[in-house]
Amino acid sequence: MSNDKSKLLEERKKRYLTALDCGKPDRVPIGLTVSEFMAKVAGFTLQEIYYDLDKNLKALAKFVEEYEVDTFFSAPSLWWAASHDAVGAVYLKFAGRELEPNTQFQYVEGEFMLPEDYDAFIENPTEWILTTYLPRIHKEFAEPGSYRASVALIKGAGARAMELQLTQQGTAKIMEEYGVVPAGTGLTKAPFDTLGDALRGLKGIMMDMRKVPDKLKAAMEVLVPHNIFYALATAGGDTEFPAFMPLHRGAYPFLNPRQWDEFYWPTLKKVIEGLWEKGKRTYFFAEGDWTPYLERIAELPDKSIVFHVDMTDIDKAKKILGGRFCLKGNIPNSLLAVGKPEEVRDYVKRLIDEYAADGGFVIDAAAVVQGDAKEENIRAVIETVLLYGKY
Amino acid sequence: MAVLQDELAQAMVDLDQEKVAELVKQRLGAGVPVLEIVSSLQAGMAEVGRMFENGEYFLSELIMAGEIMKEVMVDLEPHLAGGSGEHRGTIVIGTVKGDVHDLGKNIVVMLLKGAGYNVIDLGVDVPKEKFVEAVKEHKAPLVGMSAILTAALESLKETVAAVKAGVPEAKVVIGGPFMDEKVKEFCGADFYATSAGDGLKAAEAVFGGK
Repeated sequence: MSNDKSKLLEERKKRYLTALDCGKPDRVPIGLTVSEFMAKVAGFTLQEIYYDLDKNLKALAKFVEEYEVDTFFSAPSLWWAASHDAVGAVYLKFAGRELEPNTQFQYVEGEFMLPEDYDAFIENPTEWILTTYLPRIHKEFAEPGSYRASVALIKGAGARAMELQLTQQGTAKIMEEYGVVPAGTGLTKAPFDTLGDALRGLKGIMMDMRKVPDKLKAAMEVLVPHNIFYALATAGGDTEFPAFMPLHRGAYPFLNPRQWDEFYWPTLKKVIEGLWEKGKRTYFFAEGDWTPYLERIAELPDKSIVFHVDMTDIDKAKKILGGRFCLKGNIPNSLLAVGKPEEVRDYVKRLIDEYAADGGFVIDAAAVVQGDAKEENIRAVIETVLLYGKY
Repeated sequence: MAVLQDELAQAMVDLDQEKVAELVKQRLGAGVPVLEIVSSLQAGMAEVGRMFENGEYFLSELIMAGEIMKEVMVDLEPHLAGGSGEHRGTIVIGTVKGDVHDLGKNIVVMLLKGAGYNVIDLGVDVPKEKFVEAVKEHKAPLVGMSAILTAALESLKETVAAVKAGVPEAKVVIGGPFMDEKVKEFCGADFYATSAGDGLKAAEAVFGGK
């Protein structure tokens, strides 16, 4: 690493971590959560970044080379499509396979865990996943123990190990070469979302709250230690940067307030507090609107989360969480896609003046930036922060 | 919550699945016309929709109501040969190509049906040609296009343009969380909806109030 770049890395790290600790760094950090947009910048199709690990990393390198951001989220594709092809995943669709070369990947929701699976899941989740769940969501595992399933298991596990190693080495190199720091390390979920996203599905979990509430609660309790461990394991043990936690079914208006208090919050709180006890902060990526729950979220230990503002009322978020938790967000993605650079500039300037003035704020888009954002608008975000964001 | 006169409609509002199933069975057995039973269920659904719009009910209740409706309709549909005939107007709806999210769309479909519209649901990831074809075939004065991914914005714009070129008199409402005045203008749509209630308002603007 050259001296310049290592100095830059230290500067940016200090800037970001100071803001996460609710302090005032030298200027407001820029932490754009950008995904498919990077493929556009690098001139790759989405098929290329989903299937070619080198191009996926090159797109990230190109983005951080051209755009002066303090932190990066990840390489544009979170998946290596080839590894999912090897096992015949039925819940993901990729450009170049089922979709056209420049189409965003798609997640196909299903009820892959049935109500009658709860007991086996609660008894031993890992065993249930291996013997029952994996065969349901992968065509190649349809007959567990068969020659075909065994070969697919070896291929799939090998591909995943390769992907993790290459991605880790690749991003470490990008950090060195461009002096950027990760916005987070490791990944986890709210237990309600672990069950509601990929296991029971939205409809299933909504019915479970009425029909089998005790089983649902027992399954979520089983997931608490697992989700704490998963965040630390996927972070390689790092506790300097927060664990990314995309939050889904807890957004308004999915659950009524009684359900939120009874089903969503208790185990989510345990995961966040459990991580915080181990020194790991959570990047509370609150997609959608979380305004009605801000008071409950404020029960968390000071600084234990970074609260991402998407459609949550930012004035209320500032009032209720500000000073105790860093806020991140909330440039509307529609503005980045169809707005003019002057309008983006005005919005960012207002964010800096009204919400970042006393520190504890990171500039970001409201949601993950996909291929629809205009390059001149992303540049306008950065220019505005560099111009007005100094403390 | 208003208490409805009709016991079946009220059971729907209470999300009492067993009672709904039992009352439907009873009424079918007693020779009550199927259309009448369906209209009781719709009245219940309309009230559920109203409560959702007012913030008394949440998505969890709406999904539950949808499931109850779906289950009893399995028994009722065979009796409904040729459809119900009477409706307030035809609306073609679908999630545009490049997007497979259907939660928002399904809620609007549920509420529009509850409000008495004839809804042609094209599903998800719908190519623009299929929208144009359906609008022509059903002579629909209103088309609803749903998208949740901002990445589907270009596709949304192209689909609006295709429908406007194919059937200039058709009105278009775009729906999804990122819709606003700017996106509406960008796409050339007539209305935008960020909630199911906005979708109903667009339908009322086109077909007139009750």
